[in-house]
Amino acid sequence: MAVSNDQLAVVAPGRGREVLTGGAPRRRRRLPPHVKFLAPFGVLFTLFFPLPIGYAVYESFLKVHSSGLGLTPGSTSTVFAGFSNYSQVFADSSFINGLGRVLLFGVVQIPVMLVFATVLALLLDSVVVRFKRFFRLAFFLPYGIPGVIAAILWSFLYLPGLSPIVSALHGVGFGSVSFLGSRSVLWSIANIVTWEWTGYNMLIIYAGLQAIPADLFEAGRIDGASEWKLATRIKIPMVSGALVLTGIFSIIGTLQLFSEPEVLRSITTNVSTTYTPNVMAYTQAFTDDNPYYAAAIAVVLAVGTFILSFGFLKIVQRRGAAS
Amino acid sequence: MNQIRAVVRPSASSPARRGRLAQVGAAACLAAATVASAAMPASAAPAKGVTLTFWSWVPGIQASVNLWNKSHPGIQVKLDEVTSGNAGTYAKMFSALQAGNAPDLGQVEYATLPNFEHVGGLVDLSKYGAASVKNDFVGWTWGQVSQAGGVYAIPQDTGPMGLFYRQDLFKKYGLAVPKTWTQYMADAVALHKADPNAYIAAFPANDGQWFSGLAWQAGARWFSISGDSWVSSINDGPSVKVANFWQQLISKHLVKIEPDFAPSWYKDLSDGTVLTWPTAVWGENTIMTNAASTKGDWRVTALPNWGAKAANGNWGGSTTVVFKDTKYPQQATQFAEWLNTNPASITGLITKGGLYPADIAGQGQKVLSQGVPFYGGQNIWAVFRANSKLVNTNFQWGPIMSTTFTQIADGFGNLANGSTTVAKVLASAQSQTVSAMKSQGFSVKAG
Repeated sequence: MAVSNDQLAVVAPGRGREVLTGGAPRRRRRLPPHVKFLAPFGVLFTLFFPLPIGYAVYESFLKVHSSGLGLTPGSTSTVFAGFSNYSQVFADSSFINGLGRVLLFGVVQIPVMLVFATVLALLLDSVVVRFKRFFRLAFFLPYGIPGVIAAILWSFLYLPGLSPIVSALHGVGFGSVSFLGSRSVLWSIANIVTWEWTGYNMLIIYAGLQAIPADLFEAGRIDGASEWKLATRIKIPMVSGALVLTGIFSIIGTLQLFSEPEVLRSITTNVSTTYTPNVMAYTQAFTDDNPYYAAAIAVVLAVGTFILSFGFLKIVQRRGAAS
Repeated sequence: MNQIRAVVRPSASSPARRGRLAQVGAAACLAAATVASAAMPASAAPAKGVTLTFWSWVPGIQASVNLWNKSHPGIQVKLDEVTSGNAGTYAKMFSALQAGNAPDLGQVEYATLPNFEHVGGLVDLSKYGAASVKNDFVGWTWGQVSQAGGVYAIPQDTGPMGLFYRQDLFKKYGLAVPKTWTQYMADAVALHKADPNAYIAAFPANDGQWFSGLAWQAGARWFSISGDSWVSSINDGPSVKVANFWQQLISKHLVKIEPDFAPSWYKDLSDGTVLTWPTAVWGENTIMTNAASTKGDWRVTALPNWGAKAANGNWGGSTTVVFKDTKYPQQATQFAEWLNTNPASITGLITKGGLYPADIAGQGQKVLSQGVPFYGGQNIWAVFRANSKLVNTNFQWGPIMSTTFTQIADGFGNLANGSTTVAKVLASAQSQTVSAMKSQGFSVKAG
């Protein structure tokens, strides 16, 4: 709230005491410097965060109402819907299924990805590895490829008949492996996401490792600790903050899973228009012309993400305090 | 995202212009369009200096617009090239209607017309003399643009269906070109026996519109109006007949279940995995572009029939509409009529846009009466022209077709794992469409 108050002060500087006391120069002098510094942020923040969110919340309480055939002008109008969009969201089995799907996805994919990221970061940080710069860049590179492009690239690697991977597996006797089957496609998506984000998470953890003072390692080595012991007893505990951060980012990203399933939808019939909550909201808004329901889905998803992220943070912090 | 989507899924839901057409147009034009229509002078005298904005995604339609602008100095049309309807333009049209700054004219597909009618977005053109051009168009198209006494669009193009088949492979496997669906089934069995890796067709399990075209041929009538109420009957007798036919092919593994207009589907069209494609006239271009290596191997024949009486269905096609915010409905109607009946304009739409006109005289144009080299010199247009006349005229779309098609496509997605059947999908699409319409306040009955 502090931000929007400051911003109000900038937008309407003529209000209040300044008007009574007089001239422009004085008024300007009276504007506290921290307000000026906050102004650019405040304006942009208000424009791109509270305003759109508020608008989405507002829209989620509306619905289209038609009467009769709905063909004559005026027979269709937008009316206040109360919480009916929300009750519809919670009663919608496809939304619940989609939510269950991303939760399952997160429970499996996030730990796998974070373990990969931690191992890679530790390897880069260890003294034995050569060509560190090259590997650091190579691991990070997938993150530089836009998600949609990555999904398209991978979709070609999954397609039977076009994919060298499928034909190679077939060649060495695995039969016809289906990456796009009704059960396997979720894990094919998980693979794309892992490929894309491991490097990014690795970099955050690696930065954490770099910040550990070197004398801790020296002390450890003097005490006779091996590289393995250094990693498990010093490095990992010291970067737990970075791990929590990457964990929260990953939870948020998972709940918002969108571009990968949306891209794979064009090559397999096993990804429906309600595959994830975000795909569902997109379909409602842009295919079914029902932005109000889409807004309700988006708000529910945002609140859910908020609860999960902060719940995770609370659990981790409590455990941190206990130990 | 809309543009990305258009590239990734070549207009997956815009059948009239699959393939090359979907990639045209940029969302950026829309911003310009909004500004242009908002800035239109309100005080301009109607007869002089009228400027109309027109949103369309048909490639090369600018040529037709230029012809009009040259011959009608008093009524200038400004074209904004937009991305295809389901790739984002419909969403923007709905928003613009809500904001009160929609363009004067727009491109809308038949199946989406009732959607726009029911938000009160379209001008009733019968008030401006549109009935005078009624007889210029193929019968069923006029049925689709008229609703409860009003005329809400001028037909532009159509998608009469036919059967594209691999003549070379039919010969190789000794198959007869099917005249009925029973023969089609027999061919499917014989083919699969001869080569277990070849299929008579692909069942596009993501495409409700494909199925609706085949149901249309069988005499289905998904929507109708009875008094002041809609009647929804997506699982009516003819539709279930078609559903059971394809279910039989699916159960016996005689068709390959895969999404259409996807890379693997193009590959199957190219390498002989799939021997036929029951589709609309515009499929001609899809095959030519995406299975170029099969030049000379494909031929076209009429869609197989259900009985002795020949009938046909339609897949895709669109219209020109006049939006409610226009200040010049008379002039806009005049342009819409001219665009879709003027021979020179239609020639441009055929040659540059790849459209198959709804205008009867247009279907007889010289460009549509020559053999096509890709199809071994066959005059495929003659086949479609003859079958265009057989399209059932009483088929109607409902007011929330996009929801219905989404339900069907999502249901079809479960066909491959055997957890549902085509007929069950139709039944659930029917009940979900009825309940969705009821919750939106429509008066609707299940038929």
